[in-house]
Amino acid sequence: MSRSSNIPAALFLRVVLWLLALVTIIPFLLLLLTSIKSKADVLKGAFALPAYPHFENYLDAWNAGHFNIYFWNSIVVVIPVVAASVFLGLLTGFAFAYLSFPLRRTLFAILTLGMMVPAEAFIIPLYYEMRYLGLINTYAALIIPQIAMSIPFSTIFLASAMQQLPEEVLEAAVLDGAGRFYILRKIVIPLMIPAMSTLALFLFIWTWNEFLIPFILVNDDAYRTLPLGMLFFQGRYTVNTPVLTAGAVIVIFPLILTYLVFQRRFIAGLTAGATK
Amino acid sequence: MKRSALDGTQQTNFIYLLPGLLLYAAFVFGPIVAALGLSLTSWDGLTMPRWVGLGNYADLFSDSRFYIALRNNAELMIFYCVLPLVLGITLAACVWNLKQREQLALRTFLFLPYIMPTAVLGIIWAWLYNPAFGPFNQFLRAVGLGRFALPWLGDFNFVLPAVGIVATWYFFGFCMVIFLTGIQRIDPSLFDAAKVDGASARKTFFWITLPLLMPEIRVVLLLTVIASIKSFDLIFTMTRGGPANATLVPNIYMYQLGFELNRFGAAAAIAIVGALLTFAINFAIHRLVGARSKGLA
Repeated sequence: MSRSSNIPAALFLRVVLWLLALVTIIPFLLLLLTSIKSKADVLKGAFALPAYPHFENYLDAWNAGHFNIYFWNSIVVVIPVVAASVFLGLLTGFAFAYLSFPLRRTLFAILTLGMMVPAEAFIIPLYYEMRYLGLINTYAALIIPQIAMSIPFSTIFLASAMQQLPEEVLEAAVLDGAGRFYILRKIVIPLMIPAMSTLALFLFIWTWNEFLIPFILVNDDAYRTLPLGMLFFQGRYTVNTPVLTAGAVIVIFPLILTYLVFQRRFIAGLTAGATK
Repeated sequence: MKRSALDGTQQTNFIYLLPGLLLYAAFVFGPIVAALGLSLTSWDGLTMPRWVGLGNYADLFSDSRFYIALRNNAELMIFYCVLPLVLGITLAACVWNLKQREQLALRTFLFLPYIMPTAVLGIIWAWLYNPAFGPFNQFLRAVGLGRFALPWLGDFNFVLPAVGIVATWYFFGFCMVIFLTGIQRIDPSLFDAAKVDGASARKTFFWITLPLLMPEIRVVLLLTVIASIKSFDLIFTMTRGGPANATLVPNIYMYQLGFELNRFGAAAAIAIVGALLTFAINFAIHRLVGARSKGLA
């Protein structure tokens, strides 16, 4: 009885849900559409289709717009940041999960502080520190602070994953006389692969998207990463909307690809981390 | 006293701890402490810093622009925190008993903005809002609402909501995903019992779903409130705080004072006030919303 009146209501609800989903991704669809238009096509209206796709916009963005440099810089920064952050997170996470040391609570509090305080709060001293070290306009300026900023999350994420490992396995290895480095390498790390890859995924997205660090610590175009390149590209090319949108697609395409491939792992890690 | 079978002497334990902690101390914790010290000085970045005690803070709290920035930030919290929370929880309650595949598809779309760089989203939305050739106004004109086609980012009254909506769009799918897993965590027999008792969908939502989602509500509030206080990228790329301070927020003000006017002491004071605000709100949310979580320490 109530069921029959529910069917139109349920259908209506789903239509609303799908409309909302469509509205959410419309900016991306428009971006994609505009990126294959000519300048003349743009004047015909945002929703009008081009006569034929102008893929040369991508070439313009890539070469004339320096997106080849920005893309390369993003890769050069992201790989060492992710690798070093996961590695250091394993070491410090191992210490927080299994080892005793003085000032344990204090050190933990200091680490969590770094997760709460945004980079904006300490960017001025960091800028002068990097300047003192002569690292402004180097890859090191983009890489080292980014690793340091990732350490709290990497440590806490991996430490709590390590605490879930069955203790008997580790005890058995100790009884067999295995050293700690050996146990870390041969037993803990293989069991940590899922957690490590989730962590790597987060670190990849955060580093790829980082804006403030490259914005303040680098002003030479040769070292700009993609989001920064996009900002300065906008300054130069505001009138050339098709090339601008092609550039935006170049920035977000690797993200969308990564997200679609690893979506389950990403969401699972996100919700597990968030509700802990 | 051993924490686990793997525990060793303290000297050897430090081998594991030190590399990460040293790097963190040098490039995060040290600069945080330095920012605190810097906020107590007057410094132009060239000459020696001059000690002014709490002078910078006193100046801030008699600075009308700082109050404007705080008020804008408070208004933006409606878009950063309240709207995504309400939308996310409503959507989760609608989506969770759809079929798996449809749920997954909707989630994929709604979550998409959250993985994007906010700086690039700001640039994209500045284009969407462009008064002359922006798709948003073209759409309004096409559906006969041309008189509402405003210069959104140039209009003193509408710029804050226009920027805020982008934040809502960025966060609401994320909130929905968190709430979806929250609902799946709830014991299904509770919903069955409610159905047997003849409870309406609305009653079930307000008496079962909502109270049991408190841990997720707390997490979402924490993350979005922190995000709103640290908001910089999105606003900087869309409006740079303008027009006429209409979207000025503390971090934009911090950037202007520090990197444009070389008043680094005053800028550091804003950064510290922002950090303290984050702690205070963090503490309040932990106290007021839901149970406390277990820590690692």
